[in-house]
Amino acid sequence: MQLENLGLYYWAIAPEIIVSVVGVIIMMVDAFSSRGARKLNAVIALAGLIAALVSVVMLDGLGSGSYFSGMVVIDPIRIFFSVTILLAAIVAALLASQFLKDEGLPPGEFFSLLMFATAGMLLLAGAGDLVTVFLGLEIASITSYVMAGYRRYDLRSNESSLKYFLLGSFSTAFLLYGMALTYGAAGSTNIQKITAAIASGQVNYPALLLIGAALMIVGFGFKIASAPFHLWTPDVYEGAPTIVTGFMGTGPKVAVFAAFIRVFVIGFGPQDSEIGIQLHTTWVTVLAVIAALTMTIGNVIAISQKNIKRMLAYSSIAHAGYALVGFLTGDFAPVAFYMLAYSIMSLGAFAVIQLLARAGDQRTEIADYAGIGFEAPALSFSLAIFLLSLAGIPPTAGFMSKFYVFKTAWDMTPELRWLVLVAVINSIISVYYYLYPIVVMFFRPLVPGFIKPRIAGMTMIALILTLLGTFYLGIMPNRLMNAMSRPPAVVTQITVK
Amino acid sequence: MVPLSWYLALSAVLFTIGVVGVVIQRNIIVLFMCIELMLNAVNLTLVSFSRYLGDVTGQLFVFIVMAVAAAEAAVGLAIIISLFRNRETLNVDEADLLKL
Amino acid sequence: MKEYLPILIVFIFVAGFAVTNVILAYLIGQHKNTRAKLMPYECGMDPVGTARQRFSVKFYLVAMLFILFDIEAIFLVPWAVVFKDLIYKLSKPFVFIEMMIFIAVLFIGYIYSWRKGLFEWNRA
Repeated sequence: MQLENLGLYYWAIAPEIIVSVVGVIIMMVDAFSSRGARKLNAVIALAGLIAALVSVVMLDGLGSGSYFSGMVVIDPIRIFFSVTILLAAIVAALLASQFLKDEGLPPGEFFSLLMFATAGMLLLAGAGDLVTVFLGLEIASITSYVMAGYRRYDLRSNESSLKYFLLGSFSTAFLLYGMALTYGAAGSTNIQKITAAIASGQVNYPALLLIGAALMIVGFGFKIASAPFHLWTPDVYEGAPTIVTGFMGTGPKVAVFAAFIRVFVIGFGPQDSEIGIQLHTTWVTVLAVIAALTMTIGNVIAISQKNIKRMLAYSSIAHAGYALVGFLTGDFAPVAFYMLAYSIMSLGAFAVIQLLARAGDQRTEIADYAGIGFEAPALSFSLAIFLLSLAGIPPTAGFMSKFYVFKTAWDMTPELRWLVLVAVINSIISVYYYLYPIVVMFFRPLVPGFIKPRIAGMTMIALILTLLGTFYLGIMPNRLMNAMSRPPAVVTQITVK
Repeated sequence: MVPLSWYLALSAVLFTIGVVGVVIQRNIIVLFMCIELMLNAVNLTLVSFSRYLGDVTGQLFVFIVMAVAAAEAAVGLAIIISLFRNRETLNVDEADLLKL
Repeated sequence: MKEYLPILIVFIFVAGFAVTNVILAYLIGQHKNTRAKLMPYECGMDPVGTARQRFSVKFYLVAMLFILFDIEAIFLVPWAVVFKDLIYKLSKPFVFIEMMIFIAVLFIGYIYSWRKGLFEWNRA
C-alpha cells in the first residue's frame, strides 16, 4: 500500500500546517529572544496567516475531494469558512500588537496562541470526520480559554477564563457524547458514511441517532452561543481582553458553523429513508425554535445593557440566531456570507472599543462614550459605521448579509417563513440599541477625563481593512455571492480519494 | 458475554453523575473532576461501540479524547491557579465580579 | 508459557536496574546523615503535623507538565504495536519519521518550558 492509497496528501492540510508551524516558530523566537520582540512576532504571525490564506485559495483550484481516509475534505464550505477565519485572525493579529504594548503583556504567547487557535479553527472548517471535528474544536477552544484569561493579574479576566473553561468543557462533553452515540448508530464517524447509512436506512438503533443529534445540538449550540445555551457569553465577553473578545466572537463561531453545517446539513441531511425524514424534520424544527429564541433573547436583553462589551455580547447572540436562519435553508452560502460580514464588522467594532477603553479595559460603559464624537472623530465615526452595519442599515455589509439570508430562507423554505418574519422584527428592535451609543457619542456633553487614544500603524491598517470590508460587502457583494452559489451537488457529492 | 446495552447504560449513568456533579458542586476542582468523569463515560461508550461494530475507529477516537482531556486538564489547572493567586478561593460562587 | 518469557525478562531487568542503582548509590555516594535526611520520606511534604495544610502551588505546575508529557505514551504505544505491520505496507522511513516529528513537537514544548524557567523550583 502506498501513501496515496491512505489519502495522505499533505498539501490538503497545507493551511493548517503553515499556521501551526508558524505558531511553533513564534514560541521558539519568544523563548530565545531576551525581551519581547513584539514587532517581530507580529510580523511572523501576519506572514504565516497570509501564506495560509494563499494556500487556501490555491486549494480551491484543486477541486473537491476527501483526504486522509476521509478525515479532511476540500469543498466550498471549507474554502469560504477558512478564508473568513484567516481574515479574522489577520485583523486580530494586527490589533494585538498595540494592545500588548499598551497593556505590557508578554507578546510571544499571545501570537502563538492565536496561531494555534487559528489552526484548530481551520481544521474544524475542513473536518470530514467526527474525530477531526472534535479535535479541531478542542484545539480552538482550549487556546481560547487561555486567551480569555490573558490579562493574568486582572480578576475579571481570570473569571472570564474560568467560566469559559468550565462551561466550554461541559458542553464539549455533551457534543462528544452525541458523537459517540451517532458513531454507534451509524457505524462510522465519517460524515459521508453517516450520510450513506442514513440515506439507506441502515441505522443500528434509530433512537440513539436522535439522542446523539440532540446532544450535538447542545454542544454546537453552546459554541455558537445560541439560546438557551448562551448564558456564558456576556460574562466571558465582558471579562476577556477586548481583542480576544473580538476574536472569540468571530473565529471560533465561524469555524463551528462550518462543522455544524457539515454534520447536520450534509451528515443528517438525507431524506431518503424513514429514519432520515424523522431525523431531518426533528432537527430542523428544534433549530428553528432555537434560532427564534436566540434572536429574541439576544436583542431584548441587549437593550438594557449599560456596558458596551456586554451589549455586543448579546448582539453576537442575536447574530448567531440570524445565521441559524440561513443554516436552515440547507445551503451553506448564506451562512458563509453572513459570518464573513459579521466577522468584519464585529472585529471593527471591538477594535474601536479596545482603543477607547484604554489599558485594563477601564472605560467600557456606554456612559464613558458621552460627547466623544467630535473629540475623536475618526474613531467615533468608525464605531458608528460598524454599529449601523450590525444593525443592518444599507449600504453596509450587515444589511446585505441579512438581506441575503432572509431572502434565501423566504424563497427556499416556505415552511419557515414565520422564522424570517421573527428575524425581520428582531432586526428592527435591534436598531434601537445600536443607535443608542451613537446618540450618546454625538449628542451628549463630553465626559470628563477623556483622553484621545493613540492609534498605532497596525491598528490603523486593521481599522481601514474592516471599514473597507464593511462597505465592499455592502455595495458590491455580487462577486462573492456568485463565487459561493455553486450547485449544491458540488457541495454534497464528494469523491473519495 | 456482557451485552452492549449494559455498557451503554453504565456509561449513561456515569455521564449523568458527571452532569449532576457539575450542576450541584461548588468547588472548582470537583467541577473539573466531574467534567473528566463525563469525558470518560463517553470513552466507555466509544470503546463498547467499537467492540460491537468491530471497527477500530472508536478506539482511536478514545486516544484523541484522552490526549485532549489531558490538555484540557493542564489548561484548567493553570486557569484555576491564576484565579487562586489573585483571589484565594476555589468556590465558584465567589467568582462573581461579572454578574449576569 | 513460552510467550510469557519476554515479560519475565522485563521483570528481571527492571528489578535488576533498581537494585543495581541502589547498591551503586550506596557504594559510590557520600554518607552524611542530617536530621532532614533521616526523616521518613513523604514526597517532599513534612510527614508530621497537621494534614490540613495547603500544598504549594508549585506542585500543580509540576503536575501540569507531567500530564502533558505523560500523555505522549498513548500515541507512542499504538504506534509501536502496529509498527511491524505498517513498515510492510508503507515505507519504513515514513513510519519512523512521522513519530519522530511528533516527538520533535513535544521536545519543542520541553525546550520552551525550560527557557521560560518552569523547571526552576524557586522561580515558579
